[in-house]
Amino acid sequence: MSDSCCPFCGLVCDDLRVAADASGARAGSPACARAARLFAAPARATPRLAGQPVEPAAACRAAAALLARAQRPLIGGLACDVTGHRAALALAERTGGVVEHMNGAAQFRNWLTFQDGGWMTTTLSEVRNRADLIVLAGTDASRFPRFFERCLAPESQFGELHRRLVVLGSGLFPEAAHSVAADLVIPLPSVRLGELCGALRARLAGRRLDADTVAGVPMVQVDALLEMLRAARYGVLVWNAAELDFPHADLAIQAMVDLVKDLNQTTRWSGLPLGGNDGDTSASQVCTWQAGYPLRTAFEASGPRYEPLLFGTARLLEAREVDALLWISALDPERVPPAAACPRIVLGRPDMVFADPPDVFIPVAVPGVHHAGFLHRMDGVMALPLQGHAPAELPSVAQALAAIQQEMNHVAT
Amino acid sequence: MLRLKGGRLYDPEHGVDGLVRDLYVEDGRIVAAPGPEARIDSEIDLSGRVVMAGAIDLHTHIGGGKMNIARALLPEDHRADPVPAAGGMHAGCGHAAPSTWTTGYRYAEMGYTACFEPAMLPTNARHAHLEMGDIPMVDKGAYAMLGSDDFFLRLLASGSDQRLINDYVGWTLDASQAMAIKVVNPGGISAFKFNARNLDLDEAHPHYGVTPRQVIRALARAVHELGVAHPLHVHASNLGIPGNADTTLATMAAAEGLPIHLTHIQFHSYGTEGERGFSSEAERIADAINRMRNVSADVGQILFGQTVTASGDNMSQHRNRRHASPDKWVVMDIECDAGCGVVPFKYKDRNFVNALQWAIGLELFLRVSDPWRIFLTTDHPNGAPFTSYPHLIRLLMDRGFRNAKLDEINAEAAAHSQLRSLEREYSLYEIAVMTRAAPARSLGLSDRGHLGAGAAADIVVYRDDADREAMFEKPEYVFKDGQLVVRDGRVVKAVNGALHAVKPEYDKGIEKPLKDYFDRYMTVKMEHIRVSDDEICACGASKLIPHACKGRAA
Repeated sequence: MSDSCCPFCGLVCDDLRVAADASGARAGSPACARAARLFAAPARATPRLAGQPVEPAAACRAAAALLARAQRPLIGGLACDVTGHRAALALAERTGGVVEHMNGAAQFRNWLTFQDGGWMTTTLSEVRNRADLIVLAGTDASRFPRFFERCLAPESQFGELHRRLVVLGSGLFPEAAHSVAADLVIPLPSVRLGELCGALRARLAGRRLDADTVAGVPMVQVDALLEMLRAARYGVLVWNAAELDFPHADLAIQAMVDLVKDLNQTTRWSGLPLGGNDGDTSASQVCTWQAGYPLRTAFEASGPRYEPLLFGTARLLEAREVDALLWISALDPERVPPAAACPRIVLGRPDMVFADPPDVFIPVAVPGVHHAGFLHRMDGVMALPLQGHAPAELPSVAQALAAIQQEMNHVAT
Repeated sequence: MLRLKGGRLYDPEHGVDGLVRDLYVEDGRIVAAPGPEARIDSEIDLSGRVVMAGAIDLHTHIGGGKMNIARALLPEDHRADPVPAAGGMHAGCGHAAPSTWTTGYRYAEMGYTACFEPAMLPTNARHAHLEMGDIPMVDKGAYAMLGSDDFFLRLLASGSDQRLINDYVGWTLDASQAMAIKVVNPGGISAFKFNARNLDLDEAHPHYGVTPRQVIRALARAVHELGVAHPLHVHASNLGIPGNADTTLATMAAAEGLPIHLTHIQFHSYGTEGERGFSSEAERIADAINRMRNVSADVGQILFGQTVTASGDNMSQHRNRRHASPDKWVVMDIECDAGCGVVPFKYKDRNFVNALQWAIGLELFLRVSDPWRIFLTTDHPNGAPFTSYPHLIRLLMDRGFRNAKLDEINAEAAAHSQLRSLEREYSLYEIAVMTRAAPARSLGLSDRGHLGAGAAADIVVYRDDADREAMFEKPEYVFKDGQLVVRDGRVVKAVNGALHAVKPEYDKGIEKPLKDYFDRYMTVKMEHIRVSDDEICACGASKLIPHACKGRAA
């Protein structure tokens, strides 16, 4: 099928040619290597209890029993499509669970910034057609293999864009990832991005900075960079929260988005937060419309409770504040569940391999490969239709969760 | 068959003004009085009760990307209004940007049975339908936003034939499963992307050279010629700017006699008189509406308290960022399609500007003489959350109450306003017009908004209470498609609603240039913008209700 949508990164490229036969689905050109690898998903697998094969019904019964006993399960992972997210939220509501995505640590660097001050952002087709200056801050976008090809092609509907590319950071190689050369590279550790952006804001506001360097960058270079930023007609500041993995990274992101806001006093600038891998944009969108909060939400007797600082997966498991883990990971077999002291139930891709088998493993169909569905692109605007290419003898995440809920009706309470 | 016995009916579509009559309901429909041999399975005695059709909100931001931005932005607002799961109803949250579930329950609990999201971006259509799919209880529909999208502006700037524009508008309605077309700050959202901060009605767009007036004219004509029931829905230029009443009057004229709906007109009825350079032009605007039969409007009343403004008009919202309370705001450029801006607001009764805005809205309600052409809205949540409608109804129906409130607001604003001199009090019949019959007629919903035989049995029963706020807050019974869903202001049965969408006729040949455009410049395929009929139920609606359009000759 031509023009198929790819669920395996936040770009959700929708121009793939996917072939399917009895052996499964294969993504050909122009798929990236990641898509080619992940479209090849087996159509069957055996449910397991503590590593031992069982019938699907027995696996569902075991999962239901564990969830029925739990006071507060963590409904985590959430790597699936919108229909799966809806079912996961329904289960969380029923079990008094907490919902959190496997990429929560990265997502909440953005959400904390967003909820504190807001921001100005843009979407991929705007970038494609308007951006004349791209600043990659702490990322080379290599986790989004076709980002430059899809979003930064030279031709735009407003004529050819002579885009300039600035890279802020060290150890970043857009040349290698995308075969493009940066016009300016300012090496600095990502942990100092906030400092640099703060200095740029101060200089933009006309303040004098009594320093020779900021974040290791000579002041004269800071000023030269600022002149470039001010001269852009439509600048885009790109970051990937997953790569800003240091304490209080939300404050670095805040400095970046505040710089973007300030630059808009005289010209146009927007932020572009890269993300959306593993269905994380859809997961936050669905939870936001259904519960009001972008995940990290517990369904309590008094209603949904949102604790962005307390309800991260790692903290909940370490502090033993949850007594069961349901891990949903239907897109990438490498995203196995974290270790936990509590019982673990996994709804995972059929080719998932465990070093440490969970209590219950229910293999599920892969959205966009085995069945149709909906998935949001990283910008949250486009919800794309996923196609089913090769039917599987496996339930979708939503079907597996419905079966577990059915079993819960029979479990003695 | 169900008999609703002896209620006092307000059914303006049939000119029924408080007559005591029985209603009969069978298979989800209102049916004519059967003969004596008919079997009545159940009967409810409604003597002394007020009976109306289910209310219809034709402009309420209930679902779509910008509402989800507003929800995510305001955890502190949700925290004050948590909603637990109970009795088949989902958990969620309420107030300014309620969760989808809670939106549906609370609308139904006020006697609403249909709600229309007025600002759906075609690129965001699938998302909007997914969100609206999780709004229970009420039927839904959405207006597709056009007028700042680059494909349309290219057509207009290149002098394309109106027929081509009509085909594109028809395609957009069809592909995004929309009920009408809305234009927001015509051309202005696009101009903001080219760094313009303002775009007057006759000002040339900085890139395309076309004016907002040309945008309105082309779209109003397309909507009319395609035979879409609802007129072009216009959020005019210069929202919120003192002196914008002139723009608003010129915008009415820009339709050149074609039907046009001006939305949240309160935000567009401002003058520049007085010491503070901010005054009411409600009288001039209302006079124009009274005079021009092709114009309808909804008010966008503000009410005091915390809310959040969510709009496609990112140019205006960026300007308004300095009023953000709490101090945070989001502005977005979107997909060469449109944009959005979300700015939390706290309207204060002691603030001169806010108090005058409140008075201007009420003046408009009271000065527009024809309730068929002015609709009750707060532009939820921009002027106030929709849950304040019962309070607003009391302000309209009860002059003593209104004047008592007038005593509480900023005294200078109260002195500037002529509100106190307006004696009009809305009747129940007029309320039924503006919240039921008129929106149904405006949207072309022939079997909604009335109580005649053949209508869907969306029926609301109120206890007659001199305190109209208490009365409209808690209907005694609400029936949705014949099912009892609300009793004494509480949901007793959770149901799903349908999606209304128009299906105009247009030349599918438009897909060729459109596909070329998407292939060449966009990061998504044209085919993937399209939301198919089959997807509507997967998105969550109970069914798709298609509305055929009868094209009108040019």
